[in-house]
Amino acid sequence: MPSARRAARRPLGLAAFAWVAIALYLAFLIYPVLQSLLMSFTDRNPLRANSNFVGLENYRELVVDERLRTTLVFTITVVVVVTLVANAFGLGFALLLNRQSLNYRIMRTLVFIPQVLSGVIVAFIWRSILTENGLLNAALQQMGLVTEPITWLGSTQMATISLCAVVSWITIAFATVVYSAALRSVPPSLYEAATVDGAGPLRRFRHVTFPMIAPGTTITVVLCLITTFKLYDVIAVLTGGGPANSTQSTAYYLIQVAFTNNLFGYSSAIAMLLLVLTAGMAYVITHLLRKREGRL
Amino acid sequence: MRTRRIHVGAAWLITAAYILPIYVALVSTFKSQDQILANPAAPPAPFTFDNLANALARPDRLVQGGLVNSILVTTLTVALLVPLASAASLYISQRTPRVKGALLAFFALGLMVPPQVVLLPIVNLLQTVGLDRTYPGLILSNVGGGYLSFAIFVYVGFLRTVPAEIIEAARVDGASDLRIWWQVIMPVIRPATATVSIFLGLWVWNDFLNPLFILGPLQGQTITTGVYLSVGTYSTDYGQLFGIMFLAAIIPVIGYLISQREFIHGLMSGAAK
Repeated sequence: MPSARRAARRPLGLAAFAWVAIALYLAFLIYPVLQSLLMSFTDRNPLRANSNFVGLENYRELVVDERLRTTLVFTITVVVVVTLVANAFGLGFALLLNRQSLNYRIMRTLVFIPQVLSGVIVAFIWRSILTENGLLNAALQQMGLVTEPITWLGSTQMATISLCAVVSWITIAFATVVYSAALRSVPPSLYEAATVDGAGPLRRFRHVTFPMIAPGTTITVVLCLITTFKLYDVIAVLTGGGPANSTQSTAYYLIQVAFTNNLFGYSSAIAMLLLVLTAGMAYVITHLLRKREGRL
Repeated sequence: MRTRRIHVGAAWLITAAYILPIYVALVSTFKSQDQILANPAAPPAPFTFDNLANALARPDRLVQGGLVNSILVTTLTVALLVPLASAASLYISQRTPRVKGALLAFFALGLMVPPQVVLLPIVNLLQTVGLDRTYPGLILSNVGGGYLSFAIFVYVGFLRTVPAEIIEAARVDGASDLRIWWQVIMPVIRPATATVSIFLGLWVWNDFLNPLFILGPLQGQTITTGVYLSVGTYSTDYGQLFGIMFLAAIIPVIGYLISQREFIHGLMSGAAK
């Protein structure tokens, strides 16, 4: 009997951990998502005791809210620019540093540091560089490229460009390391075989390297998308969402609506929109890139 | 030989240009305010520790308090997530393909949900149970949120490479499931634990949004929100700000330099999936 009893008890031990994990996940992820969904149909406001069911009112607001539209355009601009720039530069950097001596190991180590620092710190460093009398303007003036200092964070257009540049700068670090890892996973025998077959460096890159690092592209693109969609700290420190709310991402705007304007119902509708956009884009992109991986 | 030297030189030039902002921050930490404003890129002359001393001498003890809070929150979050996620992952791995698929799909959502989407309901939930503006509240929401999904995916992925015979052999010897998990599986999946601890440690340390809104500015802060608040209020004293940032960044940067190999390994295992 003891062995039978032990057998019956056996799965319980691990199952308990699994259930604790599931319970916490239900409480802090699934429930909040559902709660957001429910709140999005109400006019809940913490300053009022009661909230009313308002149907699709908040979703109607999504359609007509000019500021939301601005944040969506801004978010998509940043997502597209950062994904393209980070992948291009990351791959270039990884190819440049793809050698095995100490020098290159040190360089690869250094290149990842922007990703190790918090967005708050990175944004502050860049803010100090981009101010009117900061390093960038000083350098440009010294080289005689500009006569007047450029207000990198002052105009809506410049602030958008600066923000894209800073976020790209952070993400290049990530992309470089992923591509470096992917490059090292390419077996040298493939290059040798291609060389024997008379392929030059360009054709080796096109037909050996490029297909072999496809999984690296998938992970970099998907992570670029997800991290850029939830961008918050860099915006908060670099531009504070300004000037004239021009550098607010949708996620940043959502926090403003929820915690500054106390419009819980409307902020929940924005949350649902953001969730659908992120999940949808991640799904589509993964799907497309996986298919591409299969073809290559 | 010569082309090789040119290549090294060019690579260093590009790398240096890329990390120039970090160099600027580093030298600014050891320069006076005047030096920082007059010539941001120059090396410190004279070299001074005043910025670090000033940062540490603040009457509000922002750096010391922030570091203690960050170490506490980060360590406890990781210490709770590693056993929870590894055991849950082992449990998930042993289910039938259909149940396993369903559970993984359930946890996959956490990888995609932007934290802003769930922040308000989490704050409301913590208020209901009386854990708002507390460290346990922050740690619990860390443990139950998207970080758990990440840890489970790393562990389940790694467990695929563990031969089933190891578990079978231990079971034949009469070991309980908990014993198999802790004494047989945990040592084998140590690389996965390294990946999980390193990445979660870094993310929790650098997290800004959750501590800012869950703890609130009045109930103390982590070092990351501390840096943010000092940027807002003392933005004229650049010297001290760089001192604070240096002290805030030194732990993750040293941690990264030490665990670099595991870091890269973790990214690679992610890329391979």
